[in-house]
Amino acid sequence: MSQLPHIQTSRQSMPGAETGPPGSPSGHRRRRTLPSAIGEPMLWLTGGALTICLGMILLLFAMVLINGSRTFWPQPIHHITLDDGQELLGIRTDHQQATETTEARTLYRVGNRDIGQASFRWINDAAIAAIETPEHAVMLEREAWGIWLGYPEQIIRVDEGGETDVVADGPVAFFDAFRQLHEKARQAMERAERLKRGELGDINHQIGQLETRIDQAEIEAGREGPPLFRFSWLVWGLAGLVVAGLAGSVYRMRDYGTQLGSPHARKGKMIRGSATTIAGMLLVALLVAAPWKADAPTQADVEAMREHAQVREAELLEQYETVLAEIREIEDANSGLRAVVREPTTERFSPTSQTQADEPLQVGQVVRMVRANTLSVPEKFGVYFSRWWEYISTFPREANTEGGVYPVIVGTVLLTMLLTIFVTPLGVIAALYLREYAKQGLVTSMIRIAVNNLAGVPSIVYGVFGLGFFCYTVGSYVDTGPSRDARLGVETWWGLFVFTSMAIIAGIAMKLWSKPDPGKVASRSNMLMQRASWAVWGVCAVLVVVLVAKTPYFHGFFEARAQDGTPTFGTRGLLWASLTLALLTLPVVIVATEEAIAAVPNSMRQGSYGCGASKWQTMRRIVLPGALPGILTGAILAMARGAGEVAPLMLVGAVKLNQDLPVSTQAPYLHADRSFMHLGFHIFDLGFQSPDSQAARPLVWTTTLLFLTLVFMLNLLAIMLRSKIRARMAGPTV
Amino acid sequence: MTTMDTNTTNQTSPGQHKARAVTYESSRNAPVAEYKLIDAIRRGEIPEPTIHKEARATDAVIDIDRFNLWYTDTQALFDVAMKVPRGAVTALIGPSGCGKSTLLRSINRMNDLVDGVRVEGSIALNHSPIYAPSVDVIELRKRLGMVFQKPNPFPMSIFENVVYPLRIDGERRKSVLQEACEKSLRAAAIWDEAKDRLKESALGLSGGQQQRLCIARAIVADPEVLLLDEPCSALDPVATLKIEELITEISERYTVLIVTHNMQQAARVSDFTAFMYLGRLVEYGPTAAMFQKPKLIETEHYVSGRFG
Repeated sequence: MSQLPHIQTSRQSMPGAETGPPGSPSGHRRRRTLPSAIGEPMLWLTGGALTICLGMILLLFAMVLINGSRTFWPQPIHHITLDDGQELLGIRTDHQQATETTEARTLYRVGNRDIGQASFRWINDAAIAAIETPEHAVMLEREAWGIWLGYPEQIIRVDEGGETDVVADGPVAFFDAFRQLHEKARQAMERAERLKRGELGDINHQIGQLETRIDQAEIEAGREGPPLFRFSWLVWGLAGLVVAGLAGSVYRMRDYGTQLGSPHARKGKMIRGSATTIAGMLLVALLVAAPWKADAPTQADVEAMREHAQVREAELLEQYETVLAEIREIEDANSGLRAVVREPTTERFSPTSQTQADEPLQVGQVVRMVRANTLSVPEKFGVYFSRWWEYISTFPREANTEGGVYPVIVGTVLLTMLLTIFVTPLGVIAALYLREYAKQGLVTSMIRIAVNNLAGVPSIVYGVFGLGFFCYTVGSYVDTGPSRDARLGVETWWGLFVFTSMAIIAGIAMKLWSKPDPGKVASRSNMLMQRASWAVWGVCAVLVVVLVAKTPYFHGFFEARAQDGTPTFGTRGLLWASLTLALLTLPVVIVATEEAIAAVPNSMRQGSYGCGASKWQTMRRIVLPGALPGILTGAILAMARGAGEVAPLMLVGAVKLNQDLPVSTQAPYLHADRSFMHLGFHIFDLGFQSPDSQAARPLVWTTTLLFLTLVFMLNLLAIMLRSKIRARMAGPTV
Repeated sequence: MTTMDTNTTNQTSPGQHKARAVTYESSRNAPVAEYKLIDAIRRGEIPEPTIHKEARATDAVIDIDRFNLWYTDTQALFDVAMKVPRGAVTALIGPSGCGKSTLLRSINRMNDLVDGVRVEGSIALNHSPIYAPSVDVIELRKRLGMVFQKPNPFPMSIFENVVYPLRIDGERRKSVLQEACEKSLRAAAIWDEAKDRLKESALGLSGGQQQRLCIARAIVADPEVLLLDEPCSALDPVATLKIEELITEISERYTVLIVTHNMQQAARVSDFTAFMYLGRLVEYGPTAAMFQKPKLIETEHYVSGRFG
């Protein structure tokens, strides 16, 4: 705008526009194309890089898919005769070509650990005299001691007197009889197993609880020191009235000072803020020093409780015996039915247990019998899918190398869900403050950088923190309250309590008076007040932590068990693991949410403010719904990251074997204090810590496939949820 | 140059009063090439605005008095003083950057959302000052309706869009909401097009429909003044025409303050017109007078497109 508009500047010719004399073709310089301008090499380079990336990823998926899905396919059983005359049954699993130092050899899965051999055996190809695939060879998957390969001979029934009665003789009769008898025997065994796991477990649990309750009463009765200050019922009632009155007046004052032109706007906020604080702190005080907690049980009370508990315990023990008898009955009814399956090496049959080598295997102990050499393709598929179903629906056996991974799946799903539930609200609220409330500047930039860097911290560090802070600090606080030395005296604590309340009110006041008048820029004193209010808020936060950490009033929720040496929350468990992973994935959610919030057009916010909406109303009704798909994307990313994390879990709660699932039919249904199994950790355990690593190897692939599928399904679920919400939010033109 | 001038103005603020004392009445008869008033403004002076006596209305719904506004260090409004008459349409015109949108946004304090805004002087809405320390800005905005340059319907249904101001006031009764929605959609002349698709997303409407929806939203809570910030600048001529008809209709019930780039639009829809230049009010009077025989040659040339 340096020229006046009415002065027309004459059109100037562009400097350098003339090149050479016009009309002379020789004046035009021919332009050359440089070799570096040729694009093909770059095309090949970039395309090649992408191909390599995609190829690696496809290879990964293909390898997991192929190796993982073939584990359960039934393989033929070979009868091998060696040069030295030894005979054995085996399933071919691997083959090595001859090298300079070793001969060509084949790995056979021979099973039959009962006869004192390893379940896998390398055999030199040169030492094999003959290989057959006998029609009747079977593979028994047993409840204990792995697989048994052999030839079926007889099914016999042993009655209580020891009389033996042959039910079926010869392989053909054996198969017929087995088909009829096995399912019923198996169901009975499973029922017995369910009773053991369910009802016996419940009764044990109840007896344990009774004892814990008495221990707890004893601890309370024996607690030393002067009685703590308690409000009497009268004071409590009066204070309750005050709280109610304050709450009511805050409600009535909700319009105070909000009218246009009213001189009381700031005063109104101040009064509302302090009244709310006072009411809140009074409520906390009432609950801390509640009169109904005044009566600690006396020794006489404990005695009465114990007597009462003894009666109840006797009842429970009686129930226990009844269930036990029922289990025995089921087991006895089925123990008579035996299958004689003999293997060729030592001519022995599969025993019912290690100590009873002369008694044949019970039919009910056979999980599955596979006549591998005579199966048709549909039958093979039948075996295949029944093995998969067993794998995902049953508990593991034999140090995790047999059976299923049901508890592992449950543990993984629970952990992932809990971590998502923890991390999403926390991250979203934090991001909301960072993006909408906080004044953008140096501090917010630094926080943003810090949050991003948090995503780069090695995950094991979170594990160490989780163990040290969540398990041992917060967990033991929940169990037993502050340690004896940490407790403040009653007077000191209440003094601190009142001081904290006043500090909070001071903080509110300073914050309110640090805001400049409308249309005015913040003055120096405003800024100073602002800094001071931050300092006061910091002090308040520290004071609140001190009040909680040093209260003389709290003795933990699980004191008795902790004193028994079995801490409830003061040890590794699902809750702490999911909180640790929540912390680990927090940056993902914060960053994604921030981006989503920033992507909500400012015109929407302006429109909402223009309608007279407050900041919070604008956020709740416009910003958050608009950002929801992005927020969910963040949650999905966090979930994917958290589900795949193993290193921190090793420290904060994943275990090798867990008979008590973290969910049960016992209150409180979700036992967040329990340890859990996790697919990631399970893979590590199978691959590197298994006593029978050859047997576990195919399962590593299978578990990996399962893990991949599970994470994929969880993601898919979240993505479907997101697209549903997105479809509801967005109009057709967006 | 604008910035430099502003700085000079700030430094020599004691001289402002002297500058204002100079009158520029002579410029009406000056030769075409001389815009004494504009030159003075460019030098950083604040000339006394020329206000027609019809515009010195006694019944002002908005009374702007000696209003100054700074964005951090840059002054955007200089001693603006004008009264917006009740029940009429008042248009603010002027070249880009003359502060007309800023002035409009000062009235519902949307400028509070911009960091580093500072004001001096006062604005009163129905005699209550809106820049008093005690004013709750939320309550203030509830008394005004605002429509923005670009249609900004919320990503929700048409119905929810219209009743949004009532929703945030906690109105839950379905019958009340429905009645208010119909009334205000009818008033915004979009009822016939929208009545069958109230539950559909508002983002599916055309640009002109969206803007009429925004007007419906702005009037649903019966505002004291309707503020329109270039409501037609993002619309095609047909949609613009509809909005203009709508403004004329609405002005029977509401006071309207409209910012526009389009001189013809100001001439068509408004009863009063204020011409602003570089943050100063230059001339303010009835639209007919402003367009046919303005007192200043600058105004005449501006409205006829010979300058600016």
